[in-house]
Formats: sequence, structure tokens, C-alpha cells
Amino acid sequence: MNAEKPELKKLFALSSEGRKYSFTLPLKNVIRIGKRDYNIELREDEKYGIHVLWKNRRYPVEIVRTKQNRYEILFNDISHIFTVETPFAMQRKKVLGSGKGRSERLVVKAPMPGKIIDVLVRENSQVLRGEALVILEAMKMQNEIQSIVNGTISRIGVKPGQNVMKDDILAEITVK
Amino acid sequence: MDINGKYFKSYLEREDAFKKQYNADRIKKQHAKGKLTAHERIALLFDSGTFEEIDAYVTPSDQGVEFGKIEMSYGDGVVTGHGMIDGRLVFAYAQDFTIMGGSLGIVHARKIAKIQEMALKMGAPIIGINDSGGARIQEGIASLNGYGIIFNNIIQSSGIIPQISVIMGPAAGGAVYGPALTDWVFMTSHTSYMFVTGPNVVREVLNEDISSEDLGGAETHARKSGVANMIYDDEENTIIALRKFLSYLPSNNLENPPVAAYDNSTPDVNEKLRDIVPDDPNKAYDVRDIISLIVDRNSFFETSELFAPNIVTGFGRLEGKTIGIVANQPKVLAGVLDIDSSTKGARFIRFCDVFNIPILTLEDVPGFLPGKDQEHSGIIRHGAKLLFAYSEATVPRITIILRKAYGGAYIVMNSRSMGGDFNFAWPSAEIAVMGPDGAVAILYRRELADAKDPVAMKKELVKRYREKVANPFIADEKGYIDEVIDPAMTRRKVLSAFTALSNKSVKVPSRKHGNMPL
Repeated sequence: MNAEKPELKKLFALSSEGRKYSFTLPLKNVIRIGKRDYNIELREDEKYGIHVLWKNRRYPVEIVRTKQNRYEILFNDISHIFTVETPFAMQRKKVLGSGKGRSERLVVKAPMPGKIIDVLVRENSQVLRGEALVILEAMKMQNEIQSIVNGTISRIGVKPGQNVMKDDILAEITVK
Repeated sequence: MDINGKYFKSYLEREDAFKKQYNADRIKKQHAKGKLTAHERIALLFDSGTFEEIDAYVTPSDQGVEFGKIEMSYGDGVVTGHGMIDGRLVFAYAQDFTIMGGSLGIVHARKIAKIQEMALKMGAPIIGINDSGGARIQEGIASLNGYGIIFNNIIQSSGIIPQISVIMGPAAGGAVYGPALTDWVFMTSHTSYMFVTGPNVVREVLNEDISSEDLGGAETHARKSGVANMIYDDEENTIIALRKFLSYLPSNNLENPPVAAYDNSTPDVNEKLRDIVPDDPNKAYDVRDIISLIVDRNSFFETSELFAPNIVTGFGRLEGKTIGIVANQPKVLAGVLDIDSSTKGARFIRFCDVFNIPILTLEDVPGFLPGKDQEHSGIIRHGAKLLFAYSEATVPRITIILRKAYGGAYIVMNSRSMGGDFNFAWPSAEIAVMGPDGAVAILYRRELADAKDPVAMKKELVKRYREKVANPFIADEKGYIDEVIDPAMTRRKVLSAFTALSNKSVKVPSRKHGNMPL
């Protein structure tokens, strides 16, 4: 018995800031941003690597890291993070997202004893997943303690120069 | 045969009834939860049109019928069969939550057992897609017996064929031990849970309020418990990733991993490798930047990414051939070895060893994590697992010391004395019993105490220690490492070393099994 494969031709690129771009496979040379269509061409050759051609100018693209449908790219030297989603996945996000609507608080704790070298964020500042919050020196090494969520810093528990024990609270983040 | 005759007619009638069973209503219910149906998952997993379902028409056991709640359906809540993934034979079962909650009755269990036995006989990987409410209560002990058969089959097949579990719904109680026994666990975020006892029991027994997601969701198991190796946001991506993952693995323990087409696009000499490790030993960097320049372009598949991220494990390719990579990650907890990173590394190494995947170790480790917390939780016996796993592995093993290689941690990370085949070091390597600060403080304790300017004296001693003791050239000259290499040449060196090792054979003493510290 063979079920139909779910459609994979129409896809969305969802940026980490929540913007949505639709495209189709195989790729066409037109992409729609907002309500306007742009004629662009994606090329790859030995001399320039991967680049986007728009109005006869080349814009370099570098794929920094990929993990399944998550792409971290450098476009014109600016870093962007995208996930590629199917229509069903988008619908699913809605279904799962609507049930929650939660605003949770995440406590960031020291993973090991050490000394705070620097605090890189301020209270009320916005942070993205993967952004460094504090530098903790432990095992004679400077460790970046990163946020694992997108959100807003609601409290900072440490000052530069302070010694911390394992599980001391470094910061609190209100999850977006 | 006359296709209008009565035999063929009843064949068609049955087929019709089967199709009706999976009607739009059931599919809609499953979709509303953000989940795909068992057949949709199977269709995504296998190459189009290659899946053959087995035992599709079996009906549930009549045990417990008097108690009611048995739905007389075809298939008994599980789809089993075989098909092709990238042209290679793979067996699979997918529990169907739309039929009696995917609960496991004896017929359901026998179907899974049959597929497991076939996979073992044919030497092909098996994938189990779990989406089940658990044991079928109405069937009582017959259902428990079913779990026992499945668990036993997994254990008997372990190390012979790759066994992968995919969790796409609840897996509670005894059901969790099936996946736990298999080689790899994939989970889908938000819609899958695994726990021995659910939130309700936790509330009753411990008065502790916790959601299913926090107790046993994908994120929890990927970050904290380490039960889930790979997690993805949705089912399509989970399955696409799983297909890719399989492309790194051989079908069984007698085969070598498949060789992927290689397009010559990765430079064998890459000067970028010289710039990643900072000169300041207190500065961190991302070891994955080094890995991605050594392996074929875009071929690194990280495993257990979120659990114990102070050690990085994963598969990559060298000119199309699969290798396993174990690397200390200076970016997280200074790349220290602790309980979780030791067990993560050990399990990965054992998987590579049993499935003929050569291992590349990238070493930058300041040592084992000190402290009461680790000692009391048994870092000694957990750290020993990593030693055991490395030393026991008979696949080709190469180590590159990138920077720090101190003390016991140096020995553990596939040193020559532990049976490493080739040990290379970058010029930035520091190999010694302990770091310069610690060493100087012990050896020159009295002199430092008496010194007029202890800070300056210590600085001088540290400098001398780096020159005279903690550098790779001494290790090279004494023969403890094979060569100090230019970082830019790393890929070329590794390629030629693995080629030299491709026929490595080791006589393993006859024994039932070693007694690994568990």
C-alpha cells in the first residue's frame, strides 16, 4: 500500500526574525518579497563561489552552517538564519503555537564554578538564540554563555569580576 | 483467474475495506495534532513506490474482547514492511496512533518481532517509528509479553544491524526501553514525549507539577538526559534528516559504510586552518569550524548536538568515505571532559567501532572537570567508559592534538599508548602532565613563596615550562607522537593516514565480552 507523498514543491523560508518568503522548487529566477517580484539569479562557479546576480551585480553568498532545514548564511557579509518549511509545517506551527501563547521565564545558570569576565547584555535588551550573554572564565578558559532562546533580558545576576558557583543565576530571560 | 469471479471479488472487497479503514476522518484527527499518519511517514521515509507492507490484514487478538474496547481493525495499529532508502534495503515499522491509540497488543508485537527478525536475517537496518499509547491494557500480560519479545530482539540484533528509533508521539512506561536499547533516537519537537512515568503519576507520588514537554519532551531529552540524539522541528525534517543519516552507515557489521560520490570540491591543503586556534590558550574557538574544513564540503552530520556540547561527535566524509569524529569543544565549558561528555563520546566510539567506521579525534582538552559534584556523581567510573571505548576499538584511529592535551585527559583522548594508530599535533599543541600554571605552582612552591616578586618569577617559569616541557616538538622527538604538522596540511595527512590504515586488522582475544565499567 502506497500513500501519497506530502507535497514538497512549495516551500517557505522563515527568517529568525519571523519574516516569511515563499518559493517553489525547482527554483525560478523570480522571488517575491512583499508584493513585488524581483528578477534574481543564483549562480555558482569556481571564480566567485555561490553568488546572487541582481541587475548585473554579484552579491556573494556563503553558507556558514546547515543543519537539516536550518541555514546560517552570510549574504553581503551580513549573517542571516533561515529555516525552510513546508506548507504543512507552517500550518503545524500555527496549531502548536496557538495552544500556548505563553510568556515564560528562563533562568540562565552558571554551568561550572568560575569568574565572570564580562557581561555583554543589559537589562531589557533583546537577545537571540545563540547570542553571548556573559563571559565566564573557568578551567583557565573564557567561556561564552549563550542564550538558548529568543527573548528579553529581565534580570542580570552578576557583575564583571565576580566569582560564581555552579548553578548561580547569571541572568533571567523573558522568552518571546 | 477470472477477475469477475467470486474469488477475485472477495479479494477486492477486502482491499476496499482496508482502504476505508484509513479514511479522511482518521487522517484529519492526526493532522490536527500536527502529526502525520503512519502511512504518510512511511511514504516520506522510503524511496517512492518501494515500500511493501507486510501483515497489513492481521486482526487483533481476541484476548480481552469480553472487557471491550477492542476495535476489530486491520493491521492492529502498526504498519510494518520493507523498502528502499537511497536504493538500499531497510526494514521499518510505524505505529499507527489512529487505531486504538497505537497501543501494543500481542498481534501488534508479533508483527514488529517478525520484521525485526527479517532485518537481522537480511543484514539490513531497521527503523521503528513510535507513536503509541503504550501497552494494550485489555490484553493484559499478553501485551507485556509482546514488549519482552521486542526488547529481546533489539538486544540480539545490537551491533549487527543499525537500529534507529524515531519518536513521533507518546512513548511511556515500558515502551521507552525499546528506543533506549536501539543505537539512535530521533525525536520531533512538541509532539513527542518519552518518560517512564508521566506527569500524572509524578504529581500523585511526588507532588511535583511538571508538563509532559518539560518532563520528557524532545528538547529535554536532547539537552538534559541525552536520550534523544537528534531532534527536529517537524516530522518531515526528522525523516529527511534520518534518510541522510542512513547514508553514512553500512547496512550491517560485516559491510563497510557506503562510499558517496565525491566531486573534488574540498581543497586538501587549506590555509584557513592556520587561523582558527587562537594563540592565547585562554581564548576559545568553535572546533566545528576545523571539522568542516577537514571533511568533504558540507558532509559533517553532528550527532547529539545539544547534549554535553563540550564534546562534539558526528559523521563526516573523506573523499566520500564515512568517518566518525570526536572533538573536544573549547567553546563550551573549555572543552573539559565531564560525566556527560565522557559517556556521549564512549557510546559514539562504540557505535563507530562496531560498524567499521574509522575514528578521527581532534583534541583540545584542559583535563577532567574537578569538583565535588563530578567526583560524587562518579566521574571516575564514567570517565573510564571513554578510556575503555577508545582502547577497545579496532577500527582505524587517528588523533590530532590541536592545542591542550593535559594529564589523564591526554591519555584518554586516543593517545598512542591507548592504541591510537596515528597521532599528529599542530605546532600550537601543549602536551604535559598539567597546565603550566599548575605545574609551576607545584614544582616551585617554595621558591615562589620566598621570591621577592613571585608574579614575575611565575611568569618566567611558565614561559620556560612551555619551552622545555609542554610543547609538541619534545613529544615528536621522543616518538610519542608521529609528526608535528602544518595545520593547513591536516586534510591531506588524515587522508593518507586513513588510506594507510584501510586494511588494518587486529586480533581480538577470544572472550565472551569485556567488562566495561557501566
